Amino acid sequence: MLQLLVNTFALGAAYSLLAIGFVLVLNATGAVNLAHGSFVVVGGFLSASLGTMLKLPGAVVLPVVLAGMMLVGGALALIAYYPLRNRSAVSVFISTISMSAILETSTLLVFGPAPRVGPPVLTAGSVELGLATLNVQSLATIVLAIAIVGAQYFVLSRTVLGKRLRAVAEDREMARALGMNVNAMIFVTFGIAAALAGAAGLMFANTFYITPGDGEGYMIKTYVAATMGGWGSLRGAIAGAFLVAAFEVLVPSLPLMLPAMVDALPSFQAAFSPTASTIWLYLAFLVVLFFRPQGLFGEAVQQRA
Amino acid sequence: MSGAKLRRPLGIIGLCALAAWPIVMSSPYDLRLFTLAGIFAILAIGYQFIFGYVGELSLSQGAFFGLSAYVTGILAAKAGFDFPATFAASIAVSVLLAALISLPVLRLASHYFALATLGIGQVLLLLAIDWQSLTGGAIGLSGVPLPRMFGFQIGRGWPLLLFVWSFVLLAALVAHQTKRGLYGLACHVVRQNAIAARSLAIDPDRIRFAMFLLSAAVAGVAGALHAHTIRIVSPEGLDFKVMISCLTMAVIGGRTHIWGAVAGALLVVHLPEWLRGLEQGYVIVTSGILIAILVLAPEGLAGLVDRLLPAAVGREAIPAAASAPASQVAGEGVLMPSETPILAIRGLTKTFGGVHALNDVTFSLMRGSITAVIGPNGSGKTTLVNCVTGIYRADGGEMVLGGNEISAMNSEDIAARGVGRTFQNLRLVDDMTVLDNVAVARFRTEQTSLGKAFLIGRRDARLERARSHAMHVLRRLGLETSAYLNCGSLAHGTKRLVEIARAICLDPVVLLLDEPAAGLNETEQADLARILEGLAARGLTLLIIEHNMEFLKSLATHMVCLDYGELIASGRPSAIYQDERVIEAYVGRRYGAEAMA
Repeated sequence: MLQLLVNTFALGAAYSLLAIGFVLVLNATGAVNLAHGSFVVVGGFLSASLGTMLKLPGAVVLPVVLAGMMLVGGALALIAYYPLRNRSAVSVFISTISMSAILETSTLLVFGPAPRVGPPVLTAGSVELGLATLNVQSLATIVLAIAIVGAQYFVLSRTVLGKRLRAVAEDREMARALGMNVNAMIFVTFGIAAALAGAAGLMFANTFYITPGDGEGYMIKTYVAATMGGWGSLRGAIAGAFLVAAFEVLVPSLPLMLPAMVDALPSFQAAFSPTASTIWLYLAFLVVLFFRPQGLFGEAVQQRA
Repeated sequence: MSGAKLRRPLGIIGLCALAAWPIVMSSPYDLRLFTLAGIFAILAIGYQFIFGYVGELSLSQGAFFGLSAYVTGILAAKAGFDFPATFAASIAVSVLLAALISLPVLRLASHYFALATLGIGQVLLLLAIDWQSLTGGAIGLSGVPLPRMFGFQIGRGWPLLLFVWSFVLLAALVAHQTKRGLYGLACHVVRQNAIAARSLAIDPDRIRFAMFLLSAAVAGVAGALHAHTIRIVSPEGLDFKVMISCLTMAVIGGRTHIWGAVAGALLVVHLPEWLRGLEQGYVIVTSGILIAILVLAPEGLAGLVDRLLPAAVGREAIPAAASAPASQVAGEGVLMPSETPILAIRGLTKTFGGVHALNDVTFSLMRGSITAVIGPNGSGKTTLVNCVTGIYRADGGEMVLGGNEISAMNSEDIAARGVGRTFQNLRLVDDMTVLDNVAVARFRTEQTSLGKAFLIGRRDARLERARSHAMHVLRRLGLETSAYLNCGSLAHGTKRLVEIARAICLDPVVLLLDEPAAGLNETEQADLARILEGLAARGLTLLIIEHNMEFLKSLATHMVCLDYGELIASGRPSAIYQDERVIEAYVGRRYGAEAMA
């Protein structure tokens, strides 16, 4: 039971990294980056191959992955966002979809189609904590995610660079009028987003395994998290990430937690499969949008009529 | 030879090339590829309905395609039904699913629609892999028969190719019918400017809904044919790659041109063959091309052709316009402002996050009067227009139009009841002619619908009537010489007049003008004043929001003044100019001098 909660929390923490990056880009550019899921794949493969080559734990490999992903993010901004920055947002949607195809196919060509397992953040195995046995990977993921979010928060709120980034996200025109290099800030934002997603990829690559085609699944979960929480709101995105994680971990384990229910409804087992949990999540998303189109915590991006 | 004249021979050459393709490349493998290209052409033509004509990014075209293939596969391979039954069922299932997804999200901003349509594909893919007893799991279902109907089986090779391409023709015909009439014009306005569409009594949600269902139905056709052609259904058909291919075809070919979809499909289906040396790497090439096209030629190949060889502007005969009376002398009216309120506004209140943009505003418009709303910047004038036209929902108060309460109505229904408007920041469709921009206002009056669009014969009578009416209005405003120009090429002052013409073409009882004189020079202002007086003289009630006191001085019969969302004065212009509160509101502000002049 405790392990389940820790797992949910770990997954939610990793999804938060994805959702934060997604929302940062959204606020800075006004467009959805549909290649965000592919950052996870690239980051996952990068850490898996570095991990096997160097035989080092994930926490040590992480800085290299972060740096590499910053470059990938910057490159994506250069190719898929910069030339289209004055066009409709839908153009950027499409170009980032193409970039996701390019990133995932490149991964496939470089690393092959086989699933990879990444290095654990610290070590494999588990620790005894009172009555429960807890997975080290889950705990380490939580700690690492909190550390990264903390660092990201520090950069955004306490440094000049962070203030500029936030100014660009708040009002691009105003930031430009004040003499900021808006495009440079947007490149940095894409870089940070990719780095955060790469870190999440490092965690997923060990907790699960990673294949070149996984990007779409992560993309959708990130997108759902950002939408459910409230379009453009960072806090909402984190809340949404934990909600998505809760669906993913808790729904399939409901029968384990409540064996009586399974006995009563044996034929409903299928309703608690991992596939079913995705379907429930999707339905929940539609229901939320139907009753609260602004998301659970309200939209941060104001639209003018 | 001019570009327009070259278009027809080039089109014929293109069609011949298309017909010659399978005759020249006639190995069984080539025929199969050409058949597949036909299927993807259908998919892309279908995708244009939602992505092209109304400009919504749907990411579920691939999902409908795969779903329909599964329905056909299961019914034909497992249950042994014939083509007519499986085909109808495949389309019905796609359309039903489209209706279910779009109900909650189609009225929301586009990113929600993109996500909802992206998600459904993922859900279907997981289901297809998981539900082994029905779908055959990851391996899929093999043994889908060739199409069989009425005891007759379509053979492989040429028969199947012709069968598939006859559906391409059918899809193209449906698309053509949708596009060419008044309904197609309305789609164009919905795509470019949904708020303008609402102000013309066109319901964008309804048109988007119809287009989404239509695109799902055509995807259903493509999916069913795909299952019969490759004889197997597998989760691959639901993979997001299908969606990316479809998007690539539509963008490369051109979003709104039918032949663009066909060319895009031929290209995308054959590219992996031409680039066989690259194996999976071709995805990088096609995606790279897609980005390049987005950057360099956003309208695709078809748009590029349009740019190189512009089509002749359709000066189709406008029968009624020829016999329409020459421009009437404006200002010659019989009606005097009456004492009957046509639009009564009582206690109207609107707040934005605690700030009262409008606070308990009450006044009435008398039939045939010209009422001016003045007030400093930010005093709530545009908010007032937006509330009356239903773009904002007021937080309190009521609005009664000719005895009917309109406070709770949608923007498009208010417009249909006879409230026309213009916009402070012009909302015209730049890549459409002046005539069509104005004609589209007849959409509701002509009772246009998709079903009726399918039945258009050689000419769309509705479109002709609409254009003829529009031409009549343009003449009254002295705009007939600009009728066939694109709105994007007009001068600012002319654009303002076109917006007024468009609103008049709606046949409104009340016309709300949001800063009509802004950006006009003095001659233009005088012309505009004369036109507006003429309209009022014939019984139209006008509400004008304006800063320009000189313009209003002789024009307005009644005047109200807003300040910080409150109505501070109401009465005859001469009285308003003397009102202490009005002067106070303006003193020290930009227009103070004019106010006291």
